[in-house]
Amino acid sequence: MIAEGAVQAGCRFFAGYPITPATGIFKGMVDMLPAQGGLALSAPDEISAIAYAIGASLRGIKSMTATSGPGWALMTESVQYALMTETPLVITLVQRLGPSTGGATQGAQGDVLFAEYCTSGGYTIPVLCPVNATECYTLTILAFTWAELYRTPVILLTDKEIAMTAERIDDDVLPNMTAQERLTSKSGSAVGTYDFDFPQEIPAFRPVGGLEKVTVTGSAHDKQGRLQKNTPETLEVLKHLEEKIRWRENDFCVVETDLQKGAESLVVSYGVTSRAAAEAVARARADGTKVSFLGIKSLFPVPRRAVARALKGIRTVFVAEENYTGLYRSVLLPLLGGTEVRGINKVGSMITPQEILAALSEPA
Amino acid sequence: MEHVATSVDGMELVYERPSTLTDTPMHYCPGCAHGVVHRVLMEVIQEMGIQDRTVGVAPVGCSVFAYNYMNIDMQEAAHGRASAVATGIKRILPDRFVFSYQGDGDLAAIGTGETIHTANRGENILVVFINNAIYGMTGGQMAPTTLLGMVTSTTPYGRESAVMGFPLKITDLVAQLPGAYYVTRQSVHTPTAARKLKKAIRNSLEYQKQNRGTCFIEVVSNCPSGWKMTPRESNEWMEKNMFPFYPPGDLKIPRG
Ligand SMILES: Cc1ncc(C[n+]2csc(CCOP(=O)(O)OP(=O)(O)O)c2C)c(N)n1
Ligand code: SF4
Repeated sequence: MIAEGAVQAGCRFFAGYPITPATGIFKGMVDMLPAQGGLALSAPDEISAIAYAIGASLRGIKSMTATSGPGWALMTESVQYALMTETPLVITLVQRLGPSTGGATQGAQGDVLFAEYCTSGGYTIPVLCPVNATECYTLTILAFTWAELYRTPVILLTDKEIAMTAERIDDDVLPNMTAQERLTSKSGSAVGTYDFDFPQEIPAFRPVGGLEKVTVTGSAHDKQGRLQKNTPETLEVLKHLEEKIRWRENDFCVVETDLQKGAESLVVSYGVTSRAAAEAVARARADGTKVSFLGIKSLFPVPRRAVARALKGIRTVFVAEENYTGLYRSVLLPLLGGTEVRGINKVGSMITPQEILAALSEPA
Repeated sequence: MEHVATSVDGMELVYERPSTLTDTPMHYCPGCAHGVVHRVLMEVIQEMGIQDRTVGVAPVGCSVFAYNYMNIDMQEAAHGRASAVATGIKRILPDRFVFSYQGDGDLAAIGTGETIHTANRGENILVVFINNAIYGMTGGQMAPTTLLGMVTSTTPYGRESAVMGFPLKITDLVAQLPGAYYVTRQSVHTPTAARKLKKAIRNSLEYQKQNRGTCFIEVVSNCPSGWKMTPRESNEWMEKNMFPFYPPGDLKIPRG
């Protein structure tokens, strides 16, 4: 469904390198893109795969690559390059058990911080996290929309269970989503590769090989895209890279909230685990326990407002995620002041609704 | 070393497992070359009596479990990095016999840089290169070594040079490098071929003892599962299609 979503979003270039559990997306693009006039290229490794995709995007073609943890490790150099050069790009990261080659056929939610914090400087990269096949489709389209609108790499963070499970979906109920076209500068209008007056502004895109000269560099640069060291304009560009996202952080909020009046417990989860969490919440309520649920789909930028809203009246927050160390819990922690925060964590296999229920009923 | 019986119930034992192989059943698909190459390699190590002085490095790929079968110190390296890890080991332990054991995806795609530089520096190791023209472990995708016209899961209509380039003869490239001492291409589809491979491995390890530089052995191999053939069909297909492009024989032999 990720491949279908990408094609629907107008993606016409894909580059990949085989890796379980992301190979299905690669294969899907190989099978679908030629008929759309697109191209799916096999790369000799992930370092090349993402670089091919960036090259195609520099020309204005919507591009994607897909990988899993070990391949992501190799891609991070170019993820930073895409961020620095403000090149729209979607990277699907299908999580598997780590560290290192870990377990190719075991799911995990262990790359949450590895994905988000892969840049020197810790710049915010939007991360979307689908919970089922339908969302694989819709959030892929949204990922392309964000990449195009904000000139940024966007990570679609899924996992082995979501990516490799066959699900039945009704084509007719898939929302009709239109593809976001790239906001290209009008000929002769812009003065540089990165033209903005305010740090929050998104510079109009100039394709390479077009009418105007385009200079692109992954080194610190001015608005013309020329390498500079610590000039005021260069420092402004560095600030702009973060501000263009931070300033719009509320535009990135995609959550599922199911709050119950009078509830003192809140279960927060994402990805495949939020399916178990929603189920556990439903069962707890059936047993007469009051409990609220927050499923987060836009992991970054962190949906602060939605979290704050869900916290009203809450004493205990449970964060359920399939990793050992409580990755997203550590991100949420500063926002959860005044509540008791408990992690529900596991590695090697999915967290079950029973395990979440058991955690909910544990005494403080 | 474990005791090896020479006769069973009064009958003469003519074929046995070398002590350098564990008795763990291999996970390889029926008819796959990997198992035969494991055995041949381990026979040489047993015959040379160097089991306790040999260190192997296999990366991910179908040989990811090689350490379960080869009864020596075995490391599993990250994808493409086997010859680099082997370099580090050999530099620190120059008196040990060090080899890497790599698939074509590993050695000729993601590890191309390591392969070239290992041989160019003349690292004193043996590189065993299993070329089955495909990524076996991940389910049969096109590799740089895939033949033109060959159908794989990512080339459903066959590999086309216009889009996917040409099959890479990395062994020929390696043979050009001054640090490569002995470069040969072998196979294991017949007993004769396996014996030739055995000789090549033996020579390589003797050269390693003499500090001669990189020895590189390509084994043109089948992948019945990835090629979607029976073992017999795959060997026939290999002889008919792989051998004309990857002809068995020596590419570089020591002078004199
Ligand atoms: C960085 C990275 N990318 C991709 C993978 C997935 N992967 C595991 S094995 C393999 C290829 C194996 O093919 P090959 O080296 O030809 O060996 P074979 O399985 O055919 O013996 C791949 C792509 C990985 N583990 N790490
Ligand atoms: S997939 Fe191919 S290379 Fe791997 S064990 Fe099976 S036959 Fe051998």
